[in-house]
Amino acid sequence: MKYLGPLNKENPILVQTLGVCSALAVTAQLKPAVVMMLSVTVVCACANFIISLIRNTIPPRIRIIVQLLIAAALVILVDQVLQAFFYDISKMLSVFVGLIITNCILMGRLEAFALSHPPIPSFFDGIFNGLGYGLVLVVVAVFRELLGSGSLWNYPVIPESVYQAGYMNNGLMILPPMALIMIGGLIWIQKSKS
Amino acid sequence: MLDIFVRSIFIDNMIFAYFLGMCSYLAVSKNVKTAFGLGVAVCFVLAITLPINYLIDKYLLQAGALQWLSSQLADIDLSFLSLIVFIAVIAAIVQLLEMVIERFSSKLYYALGIFLPLIAVNCAILGGSLFMQEKNFPTVGHSLVYALGSGIGWLLAIVAFAAIRERIRYSNIPKPLQGNGIAYITTGLMGLGFMAFLGI
Amino acid sequence: MKNFSNRYIFLYITVLVVIIAFLLSLATITLQPYQKANRETEKMRQILTAAGYKEVPKSEVQPLFEKVCQKRETPSNKESYDIVCFDQSSGIVIPVNGKGLWGPIWGYVVLADDHSTIKGVFFAHKSETPGLGGEISTEKFCSSFEGKKIFDENGQFVSVKVVKGGVLNSTINPIHGVDAISGGTVTSQGVEEMLYRCLKEEE
Repeated sequence: MKYLGPLNKENPILVQTLGVCSALAVTAQLKPAVVMMLSVTVVCACANFIISLIRNTIPPRIRIIVQLLIAAALVILVDQVLQAFFYDISKMLSVFVGLIITNCILMGRLEAFALSHPPIPSFFDGIFNGLGYGLVLVVVAVFRELLGSGSLWNYPVIPESVYQAGYMNNGLMILPPMALIMIGGLIWIQKSKS
Repeated sequence: MLDIFVRSIFIDNMIFAYFLGMCSYLAVSKNVKTAFGLGVAVCFVLAITLPINYLIDKYLLQAGALQWLSSQLADIDLSFLSLIVFIAVIAAIVQLLEMVIERFSSKLYYALGIFLPLIAVNCAILGGSLFMQEKNFPTVGHSLVYALGSGIGWLLAIVAFAAIRERIRYSNIPKPLQGNGIAYITTGLMGLGFMAFLGI
Repeated sequence: MKNFSNRYIFLYITVLVVIIAFLLSLATITLQPYQKANRETEKMRQILTAAGYKEVPKSEVQPLFEKVCQKRETPSNKESYDIVCFDQSSGIVIPVNGKGLWGPIWGYVVLADDHSTIKGVFFAHKSETPGLGGEISTEKFCSSFEGKKIFDENGQFVSVKVVKGGVLNSTINPIHGVDAISGGTVTSQGVEEMLYRCLKEEE
């Protein structure tokens, strides 16, 4: 149970302000948000696990380089393998490779958790932080896609008759600043609940 | 050159036009002084890493870049390494900076906290390197000017934002919205305003 | 925290870099043939999509491509193909490439025999934002190019403009313009620039 914090009270985006840049880039539609959630969860868990395994051998003075090198190598390796054998998935993912590496959640959890905890807890910490991050992405993406493009997962969900009655998609919703404002709103809801 | 400089400060502003470097921007803007410190640090890292990455990219990584070593190496393409090399250079510089700041200004060091190492993953810096690769500058000088411009743009944005946040503290905001919540919303509104520059 | 000697630090980082470089190079070299084959298939599929053969299964891409496409000799040595389209009419494929907001964008334009009417296009991108600039590769955007003309009635080259705010609200003749993507201004400009530059060579 103690790992469930990132889903709500210690949510990476809402509370720790980590991973905001990518949250803006991938939440205009639902599909990329889900892909990003899965990849960050996997990468974060694996990187946490590896760093935690070797944590006692890393000299503190060069820890940033070591952490980043391992995380980046992991992402690029996975991308190369996908490109060779699962081309369709890789096409979807290649856009995010740079974004995953620079995602502060990855680096933040490595620095704050994996360096001082054993491998198995670090692994779960990675998974739940990834999911907590994904949760916010999905909520924001659902609203942005629904209101901005009138669709979900690329399928139109708002019936044609509503448009004929004078309804229009709100183009403002798909601009990046709206993601910020929505996250602000989410923080409001989350804080007033707790 | 002047054109690149002005463009990268205002029109291609890293924060308001591309929304890069948001995490540290939101987290370290509670007061103007630390915001300024972080801004200068980002400026500094950009100004060092961009020219270095420019040279590495041009003479080591691009397709055919190794030609100056020997003609046999002319058809080697190492560009798949560029992302990881850029990251490694940035991380090394940040690590260096961390040691320097810890030595000379421990106050700033503690104020920045975890966000100092996080400069390494500040998207603005990696973004700077990737944009530079994209823009194909003719000389190192251009990349330096571009780096300074982007850095100053970032600095301006974070200082302006910190100033707004200092004022917001005295306004009557619903309790749950205080702190982070209103910060996100303010940035969103500032971003909308800055979008007007994109049309120029 | 433990203290580490300088020698240890140097050794550590060297070993780490060597291991990572080795792993990455190994992966790249062993996987390269597969990746190359995948990219070739993808390219053929993109050209076929532009010509109106949509959703071709992976295994049939190559045979179909060889059946309907023929490499064309061009003076500038640029890669170009003759193609038989879905409705049995012929056309030419012109590859285009340019810059988006975050990275390269490219695509294929299929022109009808009059060298002016666009029969179909396909655009692809490396890293545009999904939902904004990334929309250029969607069917909705691509199909808006069908039937547009790149020469006006006097035979002047005008290319196809990508108009912010909608073609119908502007002064541009709708036969030479399509609607830009809202929120994807820079990418839309990239598409316009790419079409202008690459199609001008056809003049």
